[in-house]
Amino acid sequence: MKRSVPDSISLDFGTPEVSPRTSSDFEEIPYPPFTTASNQQYSSWAAPQRREEELPLHYMNEETARRRVHASRGPASTGFYDEKQDQYDDDGKDVYAKIRASKIPLSSGRPRRPPAPPATSIGEFIQQNLEHIPPIIYTLLSCWTRFHAIGKSPRVIWDEAHFGKFGSHYLKREFYFDVHPPLGKMIVGLAGLLSGYDGHFEFKSGENYPDNVPYVAMRVIMAMFGVALVPLGWYTAVELGMSWRACHLVALMVLLDVGWLVISRFILLDSMLLFFTFTTVFCFSKFHNQQYHSFSPDWWLWLAMTGFSIGCVASIKWVGLFVTALVGLYTIEDLWEKFGDLRMSARDQARHWGARIACLIVLPILVYMTSFKLHFLVLNHSGPGDAQMSSLFQANLVGNDFARAPLEVAVGSKVTIKNFGYGGGLLHSHVQSFPVGSKQQQVTCYHYKDENNDWTILPRWDEPPYDPEAPIRFLKDGDVIRLSHVSTTRNLHSHPIPAPVTKHHHEVSCYGNSTVGDNQDQWVVEVVDDIKLGKKSNVDKIHALTTRLRFRHQSLGCYLRAANSILPQWGFKQVEVTCDKEDNPGDTHTYWNIEGHVNPRLPAGEPRYYSSPFLRDFWHLNVAMMTSNNALIPDPDKEDILASKPYDWPFMHLGLRMCGWSDDQPKYYLLGTPVIWWGSTISLILSPIVLVVYLMRMQRRYVDMEPREWEHFLYVTKVAFVGWFLQYFPYLIMGRVTYVHHYLPTLYFAVLMLAHLLDHFVFTAKRLTERTKWIVFGVIAFTIFATFWWFRGLAFGIDGPINEHWGLGWRKSWNIYN
Amino acid sequence: MSGPQDIGIRNRGKSGPSSRYASSSGSPTDDLDDDHIAATHPRDRSSIEKLLETEEASVAVVATLTLMAFALRFYKINHPDQVVFDEVHFGKFAAHYISREYYFDVHPPLTKLLFGLTGWFVGFDGKFKFDNIGDSYTENHVPYVGMRAFPAILGSLTIPLVYAIMKESGYSTVVAAFSAILILFDNAHIAQSRLILLDAPLIFFMSVTIYCYIRFRKLRYREFSPEWWAWLLATGTFMACTWASKVNGILTVVTIGIAVLIDLWDILDIKKGHSMDFFWKHFMARSIGLILVPIVLYLWFFWIHFAVLTHSGPGDSFMSPQFQETIRDNEMLLNSLEIRYYDTITIKHKDTKVFLHSHPERYPLKYDDGRISSQGQQVTGYGHDDINNHWQVIPTKSLPETGRGRIVRNDDVVQLLHVSTQSLLMTHDVASPTMPTNEEFTTWPKDDHSRHNDTLFHLRIADSHAGASWKTKSGLFKLIHVPTKVAMWTFPGQLPDWAFNQQEVNGKKETADKSTIWYVDDVIDNADGEGQNKDQVVHKEPKSMNFFKKFAELQILMLQHNAGLTASHPYASGPFNWPFLISGISFWTQNEGQKQIYLIGNLAGWWACVIGVAIFIGILGADLLARRRGVEPIPESVRNRLWNSTGFFLLVWAVHYLPFFLMGRQLFLHHYLPSHLASALVAGSVFSFILSETINYPISIRGPSTRPKPATRADLGLKGPIILAIFVLILFSFYLYLAPLTYGTPGLTGEQVNAKRLLSSWTLHFAAKKTDYAA
Repeated sequence: MKRSVPDSISLDFGTPEVSPRTSSDFEEIPYPPFTTASNQQYSSWAAPQRREEELPLHYMNEETARRRVHASRGPASTGFYDEKQDQYDDDGKDVYAKIRASKIPLSSGRPRRPPAPPATSIGEFIQQNLEHIPPIIYTLLSCWTRFHAIGKSPRVIWDEAHFGKFGSHYLKREFYFDVHPPLGKMIVGLAGLLSGYDGHFEFKSGENYPDNVPYVAMRVIMAMFGVALVPLGWYTAVELGMSWRACHLVALMVLLDVGWLVISRFILLDSMLLFFTFTTVFCFSKFHNQQYHSFSPDWWLWLAMTGFSIGCVASIKWVGLFVTALVGLYTIEDLWEKFGDLRMSARDQARHWGARIACLIVLPILVYMTSFKLHFLVLNHSGPGDAQMSSLFQANLVGNDFARAPLEVAVGSKVTIKNFGYGGGLLHSHVQSFPVGSKQQQVTCYHYKDENNDWTILPRWDEPPYDPEAPIRFLKDGDVIRLSHVSTTRNLHSHPIPAPVTKHHHEVSCYGNSTVGDNQDQWVVEVVDDIKLGKKSNVDKIHALTTRLRFRHQSLGCYLRAANSILPQWGFKQVEVTCDKEDNPGDTHTYWNIEGHVNPRLPAGEPRYYSSPFLRDFWHLNVAMMTSNNALIPDPDKEDILASKPYDWPFMHLGLRMCGWSDDQPKYYLLGTPVIWWGSTISLILSPIVLVVYLMRMQRRYVDMEPREWEHFLYVTKVAFVGWFLQYFPYLIMGRVTYVHHYLPTLYFAVLMLAHLLDHFVFTAKRLTERTKWIVFGVIAFTIFATFWWFRGLAFGIDGPINEHWGLGWRKSWNIYN
Repeated sequence: MSGPQDIGIRNRGKSGPSSRYASSSGSPTDDLDDDHIAATHPRDRSSIEKLLETEEASVAVVATLTLMAFALRFYKINHPDQVVFDEVHFGKFAAHYISREYYFDVHPPLTKLLFGLTGWFVGFDGKFKFDNIGDSYTENHVPYVGMRAFPAILGSLTIPLVYAIMKESGYSTVVAAFSAILILFDNAHIAQSRLILLDAPLIFFMSVTIYCYIRFRKLRYREFSPEWWAWLLATGTFMACTWASKVNGILTVVTIGIAVLIDLWDILDIKKGHSMDFFWKHFMARSIGLILVPIVLYLWFFWIHFAVLTHSGPGDSFMSPQFQETIRDNEMLLNSLEIRYYDTITIKHKDTKVFLHSHPERYPLKYDDGRISSQGQQVTGYGHDDINNHWQVIPTKSLPETGRGRIVRNDDVVQLLHVSTQSLLMTHDVASPTMPTNEEFTTWPKDDHSRHNDTLFHLRIADSHAGASWKTKSGLFKLIHVPTKVAMWTFPGQLPDWAFNQQEVNGKKETADKSTIWYVDDVIDNADGEGQNKDQVVHKEPKSMNFFKKFAELQILMLQHNAGLTASHPYASGPFNWPFLISGISFWTQNEGQKQIYLIGNLAGWWACVIGVAIFIGILGADLLARRRGVEPIPESVRNRLWNSTGFFLLVWAVHYLPFFLMGRQLFLHHYLPSHLASALVAGSVFSFILSETINYPISIRGPSTRPKPATRADLGLKGPIILAIFVLILFSFYLYLAPLTYGTPGLTGEQVNAKRLLSSWTLHFAAKKTDYAA
C-alpha cells in the first residue's frame, strides 16, 4: 500500500497563533477544514478514493447533485462537500455566509466519502475494496483462534451448566425461571436445535458430554459471535476515524485477548453479550458519522440499527443496558446542541426528537418484549419455573393441572396460596424455627413447588372441628378460618412481635398443632375481587385461581403480606411473610389467591382456558427477575473462591478457574492478555490527565489543535472514557456478587482508549517520523502477539499437570498453579 | 417573573455567542453595563425596607433570633435524665477521654474531645459508661446537663450564623431571617442539638466554614490583603474542624474544594488577563490555606486524641499488636511472651475467638451429601477452655540446648502436637466436612512417620520481619501448610452432632484472607523450665510508635468499619425519604407517662425547603433552556446572583446529600441535617427571587483597581415582612404541635400520638389501637 508523506501536509495548518476560523478560508484553500492530519493519515491507506473526494460531482448528474444538496439542507447539514455546493448555490449572496463559515460543522470520526461508481472490471472491484482486505484476514485469523480445538474438553465447563440447561428447556419447551432475559438462552436453544440436540441432557457441572449431545457444534455456533467481534472492532475503529495503525491495533487486541477468546469458546451468554455490545458501539459510531445528513436513508438505518442492538444487548443480560447509557448521554448532548440551533425549524426539531424516541426508546423496548413474547410462545409446558409466575399463567401451561382442580373452595380443602404481588411466591412453612423474635416455626414465601406449601382450610377453634362427612361449607367473604400447615399440622399464627426484617410489622409464624392453639390462629377472609367474575359484589363463593383475597388477622387486625424482603441465611433466603398493621387496600402484596386446590369431595373443574394477558406476564416475570437478581448478594457465610471485586479487574488481580483443575482434563482459565488489560487501564488513567492539560492550555489560549481536530479528539475520548465508566462504575455500587467476566464488555472501551491515545500521541503525531511510528507500532503489535502466544493455553486448554507449565503466574494472586 | 424583557434581550444584537462568557461574573471589567435593571436606587426603597436594612434593625432581628434559639434548645434540657439514642456511644467516648482509656470509633475525635473537655469541666468523673439507652443519669451522678449544654450552645449559635451567611450574600434582612427561622423552629435540629450527639457541632462548624468562605470570596478584589488571608485561613481552620467532627464533614471539604476549583479555573482564564505567575500565587495561597492548614489541624486533633488516650480500654483489640504495645496496661503488652520450642500453648482464632481443638472422635466416613472423609481425628474450633486445646510446638530443625536459639521465629517450619492424643496436626487434599473447596484438617499419630510431610506448617507472623520471635497475644500468625499451601482457617459454621456442634476448622486456599489469622492465647506449660516468669513482666513500659503510623492505621480502620456498618436498623431510612420527612428515628421512650423522643423535622419547614430547592432547579433549567434558544429572561446581575451565590448553596446541599445514595452503610435521617441547612439557604434566596427581582449589588468589597459600579439595593417592600410573619406563625405552630415528640415531654395518650402522626409512615410509639375492626 502506498502512503503519502504526511509531513508535507501538516505544514498546511497553521502556526498556533493564527486563528483557523477565518471566513476567507474557503476562498483560498479548496477544502479548508477538512484536510487534517488525521484524515490524511486515514485516507493514506485507502488511497484510491482520494481523487473522488476532490471531484464529488463526477459520478452524478447535476439533478442528483441538486437533490442531494436539498435533502441535506437541514440547518446543521453542512458536510464538507455540501458546504461547497451551498456556496455554488448562494453565489455569495448569502448574508449569513460569513457566520456560517465560522460555524463549519466540526465533523469528527470517519470522513464521509461518496460511494464509488460501479466496478467495471474485477481489478477495479478489488481496487475499490482494498480497504476490506485487512478485516477479512483478521476475521479468518479470528475463526482459527475461536474454533481451534474447540471440542477439546468433552466436559460441561463452568456456566455451560446453566445456559446449556436453559437451552435444553427451550427444546423441551418447559417453562423455567432465570435472572437473565431470554434472548441469549433462546439462541443457545436454537444452536442446539440446529445441531440436532434433543434437549435431554442435564448439563451437570463437570460431567462428560454423552455421545448424543452435539456440544462441539453448539460451541461453534456460540463462537461465531466471538469471531464477529474482530471485524466489528476493526470497523468501529475505522468509523471512529482512527489511523490505519490504530485500526490494526484495535483489531489485534480484540483478536488476541485471551479473556475474550476463552469466553467465546463455550456455551455461554457472554459471547453474545460482547457481540451486541460491539454492534451497539459500531452502529452508534456509524450513526455519528451521518450527523450532517439528517434523515437520509443511511442516517435512519444506523439510528435504527443502534436501537435494535440496544434491544438485543439488553435482552441478553441486563448489564447490557449500561452501554445504552452511553448512547443516551450522546443523544442528550446531541439534542441539546440541536436545541440551541436557532436556525433549525420547529418541525425539524420535533423530527429529531421523534426519531430518537422511536429508534432508541420504542424500538429497543419492542425488541426486548418480542424476545419475551417468543419466550412465552416456546415455553408452553409446565416446568421447574412455574411457581414464579401468576396462577393464571400457570393454568395455561400444558401439563399443569390447576385448571382441573375444583372450582369453588370449601372448608377442608387442601390448598396452596399464592401471593398476588409482582414476584410473589407461595405461602410456605418448614420445621425450622425463627432464631429471633418468637422462635416459633418459620413462615415464608417460596417460589418452587414443594409439599411444604400445602395448607388445609379449617374452621375456627370455637366451632366443631372439621367433619369430612358434614355438608360441604363453601368459603365466602368474611369467613373466619384457620390455615393448618399440612406437613407439620401447625396453624398460621401472628402476634405482636416485630417481624425479623420488616420490624414495624408483626411476625407471622406457625404455632400449635391440630388441637393446641389460640384465637391468634384465626384469619378473616376478605375478597378483593375476581378476575373472571369482576367486582367483589359478584363473588359469592371463593374460586380457585381467579379470586383475589386478603387475610386479616382476626384479633390484631393486621393483613398477611409478603413483599419480597429476603430473610437471612437462616431463612434460606426465602421471602419474609409479615402481618401489616396498616390497612392499605391497594397494596397487591397483601393480595393472595388459591392456586393448587385438592378436595376429593368436590367435582373436578372443567379444563377452562383462563387467559393471562401478555403484558401482565411480561411485567410479572421482569419483577421476579429483578427480585432474584437483588437476592444474589455476596454471602459472607458462603466462601466463594470465584467471585471478585470490581477493583480487582482493571489490573487483573484475579483470574477465574473455569473447570476442574485435575491433571487429566484440559484446564481453562479466564484471564485477559495482561499487556492489553494493563495497557488499556493505564491509558484510561492517562486520558483525564491529558484532557485536563489540554483544557488548561486552551484556557490560556494555547492552540494545540485546530477546532476540528480537537472536536474529534474530544469525541473519541468521550466515547471511550464515558463508555468505560458507565460499564464499570455500576458494579462498584451494585450489591450483587461480581465476577471477572463482568469486566469483559467494559474492556472494549479501555481498548479503544488505548488505541485512541496511541493514535493521538504517536500515529498521527506531526513531529514523529514514519520510521518511529513503524517502530512503535511493530513493538506494540509484537508484544501483544507474544503475550497472547505465551498465554494461549489458558484459552485453548492446558493439558497435563498444571505445575509443569512454566511462567504463567505473572501475578502472585492468580491461582493458576496449585 | 414579569421582569423587564427589554433588558433581557438587550445585548443580543451585538454579541450572540460571547454572552455565554459574561456569565462568569466578578471580574473587574465585565458586567458594568448590566445595571439599569428595574432596580432601586438606595434612596428609592420602600420605607419598611429602609427601616429593616439599618444596622440597628438587623442587630435587633438577629438578637431576637439568637435568644429564641437558646430558649428553644435549652428548654427542659435536663429531660430526660436518661441516656438517649447515640448518647450511648458519644457519652461513653467522652467518659473514655476523662478516664484516658483507649477506645475505637469510626468518627474523627474533635467533637468527642470537646465533649470530654466539657464533661471534665462540669465535673464528670468518667466512671459512668453510658451502657444502655434509658440508664439514669441522676442515679449515677452524671452532670449531663453541662455536657448537653455544649451542643445546645453550638446548635443555637448556628441560627445567627445562617442569618449572617444570608446577609453577607447580599439578601435583605427579611430573607436572612426567613432562612434562619427555618432552622430556628426546626424540631429535628432542636432534638439533635440538645443531646450529646455529634451533629450539632458538625452543623455549626459547617456553617462557620461556609460563612468564612463567603467572606473570603467577597474580598476577591483585594487579594493577598491581610483580611483576605485571615478569612482564607479561617475557612481552612473550620473546614478542618468540620472534617474532624464527624466523617460526614469530609463532604464540606469537597464542597469548598469544588468551589475553589471553579474559582481557580476562572483566574486561569486568559480573558481575565492574569499572568501565570499570578495564577500560581493564588494556587499556592489556597494550597496553604485550604490543604496544608486543615491537614495539620486534622493531624493535630488525632495527636491530642492519642496523647489523651494512653491507657488500655475497649478499643485496644481493634488495633494491631504494634499499636497495642503503645498503650499502657494493655493485655498484649503485659502478657506478650516469647514462645520456645516444646512449649505447650493454646491457639485462638482472631475473628471468631475459638480455640484450636481436637478430640479422639473421628470424622464420619460418609457425609450427608455423599462425600467421603478420611475418617481421621476431628480438628475443630471450640469456644471454651479445655485440656484438648493444648498443643505443643515441635521443631523441624536441630536446636541448641538452651538459650535464645530455642525461640520459635517467623518463617520457621513447625509441627503442632496435640498433647492429649499425642498426634500431630495435619491437612491433606480431602474436602472438609462442609466445604468441598477447602481441605480437611485432622491429626496423625506422632510415631507414624508415613505422613510426615503433611504435618509440616510454615509459621507466618503477620506484619513482621524474617526472624522475628513468636509471641503470645501480639504475634498474630497464619499457619500455611507446606505441601498444599492452604492456610488453617475457621469460620462461624457449626459441624453437625457428630462433632458436638463445634466449629469447623479447614484449610483455605486464599491464604491472603484476613480471616486466616490466629494468635497464641497462652503458654500453658513451659517445657524447658528456664522460662519467663509472668510476674516479672507486669510493669512493662509502653513502647512508642511513630504518630503517622498510628494515624494511618486508625484512619484505615475507621474507613473499613464505616463501610462495614451495614447491619439493618429498624429506624434506618433511605436518602430518598429524607427531604420529605417520610420517617423519623425513635430516640427514646419511657413507658411510664408514655413519653418518647422522636426525631422528626418541622414538616412545614422541610417541605418549604424542598419546594425551594425544586423551584431553584427549575429556574436554572428554564434559564438554560431559554438561553439556549437565545432568550434571556433574567437580568444579568440577578442571574449572576442566582448562579454564583444560590448555586453555591445548592452545591452545598447536593454534595452533602447525593453521596449518600452511593453508600452501602446504614443511613439515618440525621445525616440529612447539614443538607437541610443548605436547603434552607436555597429556600431563602428563592423566596427573595420570587418576591422581587431586585438584589443588593455589588456585594463584593471593592479593590484598589475595581471600577466603581452603580449600586442597587434589594427591595421586598411590605410584602416581605408580611409573608415572613405568616411563615413564622405556620412554622411555630407546627413546631409547637410536634414539640412533645422533640422534647420527650409531656407524655401523650394513644389518641394524641395518633394525632401527632402527620404522615402515616411515622412509626411512633404508644399509638392507640384502631378499634374499628368488626370481628
